Amino acid sequence: MTELQAARAGGALGVPRMETMSRRTLYLDMLIALAAFVVLAILPMVFGSKALLDFVIRCSAFGLFATSLNLLVGYSGMISFGHGMFFGLGAYGFGLLMQRTGVSIPVAFVATLLITAVIAAVIGAICVRLKAIYFAFVTLAFQMLIHSTILSWASLTGGDQGLRGGIPRPVFLGIDLSNHHHLYVVSCALLVLGLLLMRQIAQSPFGYTLRMIRDNASRASFLGIDVWRARFTIFVLAALFAATGGIVMALFVSGAYPEFAYWTISGEGIFINMLGGVTTFLGPMVGTVLLLTLNDTVTRLTEYYGIVLGVVILFFAIGLRKGLMDFAVEWYTQRRTQAGERE
Amino acid sequence: MLAIRGLSKSFGGVKATDNVSLEFADGSLTAVIGPNGAGKSTFFNLITGALKPDTGSILLDGVDMAGRSPPDIVRHGIGRAFQVASIFPSLTVQETMLAAVGADQRRASVLYRRFPLAETRGRAEHAMELLGLAGKRHRTAATLSHGDQKLLDIALALVLEPKVLLLDEPTAGMGTEERWRMIDKVQELWETQKITVVFIEHDMDIVFKIAPEIIVLCYGRVLATDAPDAIRRNEAVIEAYLGTEHHTGAIA
Amino acid sequence: MDLDALTGCLASPACLVTQTTSGLIIGMLLFLVAVGLTLIFGVLKVVNFSHGAFYMFGAYFAMTAYQLSDSFALAMLCAAAGTAILGLVFERVFMSRVYGADVLMQLLVCYAFVLIFDDVVRMVWGPEFKSMGMPAAFQVMPLFIAGGVVPPYYLLLIGVALAMALLLGLGLARTQLGKVIRAAAHNPAMVSALGINTGLIYGGVFALGGMLAGLAGALAAPVRSLTPGMGFSVLIESFIVTVIGGMGSILGALIGALLIGLIRSFGSLGFPLFTEGLMYLFMVVVLVARPSGLFGKEVA
Repeated sequence: MTELQAARAGGALGVPRMETMSRRTLYLDMLIALAAFVVLAILPMVFGSKALLDFVIRCSAFGLFATSLNLLVGYSGMISFGHGMFFGLGAYGFGLLMQRTGVSIPVAFVATLLITAVIAAVIGAICVRLKAIYFAFVTLAFQMLIHSTILSWASLTGGDQGLRGGIPRPVFLGIDLSNHHHLYVVSCALLVLGLLLMRQIAQSPFGYTLRMIRDNASRASFLGIDVWRARFTIFVLAALFAATGGIVMALFVSGAYPEFAYWTISGEGIFINMLGGVTTFLGPMVGTVLLLTLNDTVTRLTEYYGIVLGVVILFFAIGLRKGLMDFAVEWYTQRRTQAGERE
Repeated sequence: MLAIRGLSKSFGGVKATDNVSLEFADGSLTAVIGPNGAGKSTFFNLITGALKPDTGSILLDGVDMAGRSPPDIVRHGIGRAFQVASIFPSLTVQETMLAAVGADQRRASVLYRRFPLAETRGRAEHAMELLGLAGKRHRTAATLSHGDQKLLDIALALVLEPKVLLLDEPTAGMGTEERWRMIDKVQELWETQKITVVFIEHDMDIVFKIAPEIIVLCYGRVLATDAPDAIRRNEAVIEAYLGTEHHTGAIA
Repeated sequence: MDLDALTGCLASPACLVTQTTSGLIIGMLLFLVAVGLTLIFGVLKVVNFSHGAFYMFGAYFAMTAYQLSDSFALAMLCAAAGTAILGLVFERVFMSRVYGADVLMQLLVCYAFVLIFDDVVRMVWGPEFKSMGMPAAFQVMPLFIAGGVVPPYYLLLIGVALAMALLLGLGLARTQLGKVIRAAAHNPAMVSALGINTGLIYGGVFALGGMLAGLAGALAAPVRSLTPGMGFSVLIESFIVTVIGGMGSILGALIGALLIGLIRSFGSLGFPLFTEGLMYLFMVVVLVARPSGLFGKEVA
């Protein structure tokens, strides 16, 4: 049993978990999502700073990406080193569609997701059957291939300069995305909606099929499960959410840069997951906020961001060996058992 | 009815399964015994699709299962429990059972519903009760005792409502008392569920006490299939277990 | 795409010689880095994502040592020794803690050190591109073979790398130490039970791998520019090489490195912008056909 599984099993405490598969939790999730959206929407009225709004928008983009990666890594046990390619594809796809064709934003959004789905299906069909470490390498290879293509196909993508000229933002349904406030609200909406959908996938019977495959793929196939098909499906679905993150990013920076498809995006995605913890659904979201905060604070204080980040990673990887949310959950369950014992 | 015809499997030059032909009537309870290396687990692996046979057919109610994939065979109604409990460590007992019944991927509802349909929930509940695990439903599988994990393993095989249940050493790794409780459970399941049960077992006391029919495998071949008394007196079987040195008559 | 340039070159012996030699030195440098990576994976079962840092340190150590001593031989020795020690320390203090942990943990620990090492180099040597310059002994006329230009230094580079390959191959196959190392790769518990200090073996293998990468960096220093990020591109390429050749296979690393070197050098003629892409494409093709690489064994 890997550490990941041990962590999910409640560690040595053996504390029984609550009921997880029921209708009640769906309604609860929707309620939480609604509340979160309301809070986020009100935020600009309380704290008017643009920096805060920018921060939240960036968190939306990376949060969607990191949570989608967790669907692969945490729930399905598929460690992809190349997931960032879909973030980049989302950004470039959306940017190019808006620049080159006259379509409206919703249409471009859907079209980008469709294109991503097709590409993810092709790559997934090749990669998903591979065993763990080879899956990791080949996904990385595909990401670097896409990155190279972006760099060299300068006539289409602008090469290493990125997509220049900005992204046209025709008004749709009364929403004007060149208005920063509108962009903020739409980003939050995409984040909350995306998280809710991913939550549904994770808590659906399909989500539990993925957990079974993660824990014991062989046994899963002896339960009649087509392991390849399940893995393929989640690979494509995760790609779509990653691409959505890329679209938010493209709107935010008004363009797309090769860095969005570089391997460091995948690396940061994995780091965010470890930072926040892979055993809870919101772990990656917490990790995203932490990493971006760390990023912003450290780059203001010193130019040697690398050393600080490196030390922080070591602290979590060697010292703590689990993410923040994992600690929170453990601390909480420990307090509950202690309270129970005292009575 | 499960009929095996001419089943063979070789690894390199070694015949792990050698022209095995057997029949298991509906609702029968059969024990498969044999010295170590006799090919018992290989036999199970061939039937459940973990291995592809070189030759032979595996007919479940007339449909040939030989060479099909494990998920396909499971869907046709052959379930298996493992010698070393093969479960999902991070899921609770209840989650395990619900996930198993909810895993039917042919429905799109596996994505947009939050929970398995009512009739399938009932199956999960029923299987938990049969194996006596209902009281531990919220315990994470990794934290269960060894015996409970084996019960969970059997529950997983049962919950898909198989026609044939293969149990690979259900009492492996257990102390004497626990063994009898487990085998009582197996017998109870067989009597109430009216399915065909085949189990591999090393404990001769158990085998001779409960199995109406015993199959003896040796070097991949069927040495004998008969009722317990006949097996006890079968010379070839005695020789296989004890060697040619002394035949004092019966085993156990 | 400039296919004319490519076909034109293939037709001309002079160009063939020049490009092949340049492909060979790229390949040989890659081999030295990749073989360390593949050794570490084969024996320690861990993928050393920080391997590029040893290459980087090898180059910087060599440059500084040469600037201080004016002796190229000494510079190479310092680089090799320095990176060997670094490898040993890194393994004993940090890597040994994450053996058997999730691949993610190992990846993160190595990634952390890449970040730290890059910044350390930036602090000590500065972020600008630096160059060591060709050592005096090699500032001679290039050789002309079939009309193609071959700097003598290239021959030294290729020679050293081949010598290393031979030493490694023979060493692992014939010597007692080599046998112990191979045994430890298969069954560390048994080797330990025989009274051999596996910790020392692991540290030694890591030191060896690091040293090889450092040697590559030192050899590359006269002909490449030095910059804090130089470890990364080498890392990616040596990954490709080990994956193509098969993780754990020395021969695979050699063949893979040569293939990549040649693809790079001829590819840069025909596909000047997409040269990297060619490599990744090649990797994808190989992996799809043979997931464990050309000479690799199946990893459980």
